[in-house]
Amino acid sequence: MPENSAIYLKNIHKSFGDLEVLKGIDLQAHEHDVISIIGSSGSGKSTFLRCINLLETPTEGEIYITGEKLSLKRNKQGDLDASDARQLAAMRSRVGFVFQNFNLWPHKTLIENVIEGPIQVLGKKREEAIAHAEELLGKVGLLERKDFYPNQLSGGQQQRVAIARTLAMEPQVLLFDEPTSALDPELVGEVLNVMRDLAAEGRTMLIVTHEMTFAREVSNKVMFLHQGQVEEFGPPEQVFENPTSERCREFISSIF
Amino acid sequence: MDFSVVIEYFPRLMQGALTTLELVLISGIIGSVLALPIGLARHSRRLWLRAIPYCYIFFFRGTPLLVQIFLVYYGLAQFEEVKNSSLWPYLREPYWCAIIAFSLNTAAYTAEILRGALAAVPKGEVEAAKTIGMRQVQLYRRIMLPRAFGMIMPAYGNEVILMLKGSALASTITLLDLTGMARTIIARTYTPIEIFLAAGGIYLVISMVIIMLFRQLERRQNRHLQPIAVRG
Repeated sequence: MPENSAIYLKNIHKSFGDLEVLKGIDLQAHEHDVISIIGSSGSGKSTFLRCINLLETPTEGEIYITGEKLSLKRNKQGDLDASDARQLAAMRSRVGFVFQNFNLWPHKTLIENVIEGPIQVLGKKREEAIAHAEELLGKVGLLERKDFYPNQLSGGQQQRVAIARTLAMEPQVLLFDEPTSALDPELVGEVLNVMRDLAAEGRTMLIVTHEMTFAREVSNKVMFLHQGQVEEFGPPEQVFENPTSERCREFISSIF
Repeated sequence: MDFSVVIEYFPRLMQGALTTLELVLISGIIGSVLALPIGLARHSRRLWLRAIPYCYIFFFRGTPLLVQIFLVYYGLAQFEEVKNSSLWPYLREPYWCAIIAFSLNTAAYTAEILRGALAAVPKGEVEAAKTIGMRQVQLYRRIMLPRAFGMIMPAYGNEVILMLKGSALASTITLLDLTGMARTIIARTYTPIEIFLAAGGIYLVISMVIIMLFRQLERRQNRHLQPIAVRG
């Protein structure tokens, strides 16, 4: 099963001290899947997403990315960490990650932010990386700002650059961690539009989000997390209109 | 007061100032080169790697610079191995002893400044570098250190000024730096007020130049914080 999936996670557990935030989550994402992960705050959605590329070290579980198993070993804190730093870096480079707070490098211009990975990690030639970066910045509508610094942009613009930076690595899977939660309401739309285009291109995406209308519209599967467990998983019609879980029903009705 | 002695001995004072500048510049360069690995080690997650520079910094920040100078100048000669080594021609020179003591001292302070800056690099920026697949070395070379250097400037400028003033201690081991030269002149002319005022004035001018230099550097390093795009 893991071989033909873009992402396959098995029995992911995560504890912070005595607090168990993830209680055994499985997830399989095929190519072209767009999976939204929803749930109230504290349900563990961000932690779960961050476990996929080991920004957070799970306490238990297995991780397969594009069929390759990430080899893990237990560290001193009792969590699972990569046993091979080289493999981890290589796998991370194939998984794009978009943060809630953009996390652009403020000392680099937009174009420098975008070409950094391709040149340093993928070993691309500078001219080639710049050409690709300009194309991507054009795609997110910020080509004319390419020599600006991140602090000179609005949050929505920064997030679009962050997406371009992620795309520059030509990742096979994109992970979005509440990409619009730190934005002013009027800036949310521009970022969602970019993401909508990406979904339409057939990219494999996992999106932690509070934008329910968006989740319903773009994703083909929705996962509802509650207290570190999957309470509901299925196509958006099911999760939003006919949830089998009582908690999911409550959550959905509290939002719409 | 008779300020004609200042004019008369001004060239000698400038000669002393030149030695002072040399001491600060050379030990500043050696010190910051040493500070890089020390600061990086201080920032390490591994306890044993952190412990060694910690002891080093603890010693050099916790003891007077004068004691450190004396330890190098008077202390080294106590060891036969040092006296027989090929480095002895240098190690017996007060000039090089002062440079060794200053370098080791400023390296400790600078390393600690660097450690603070490395710790202040926002976690999210580091995570962003990790998610695109950067390894440790790249992470430090491309993201952490450039970010830290930007933050270091005000504190490091301060350290250079402190070093400039600390360099006056070189006069205690017979070096003719600005202070040493002033004392020599005074011993001959008995005009302490005039000559020390002049020496103080020269220190002030040097300090001001250093401050302006670092302000420029800071502006350059932090040009990304400007509200509007600056081209060039």
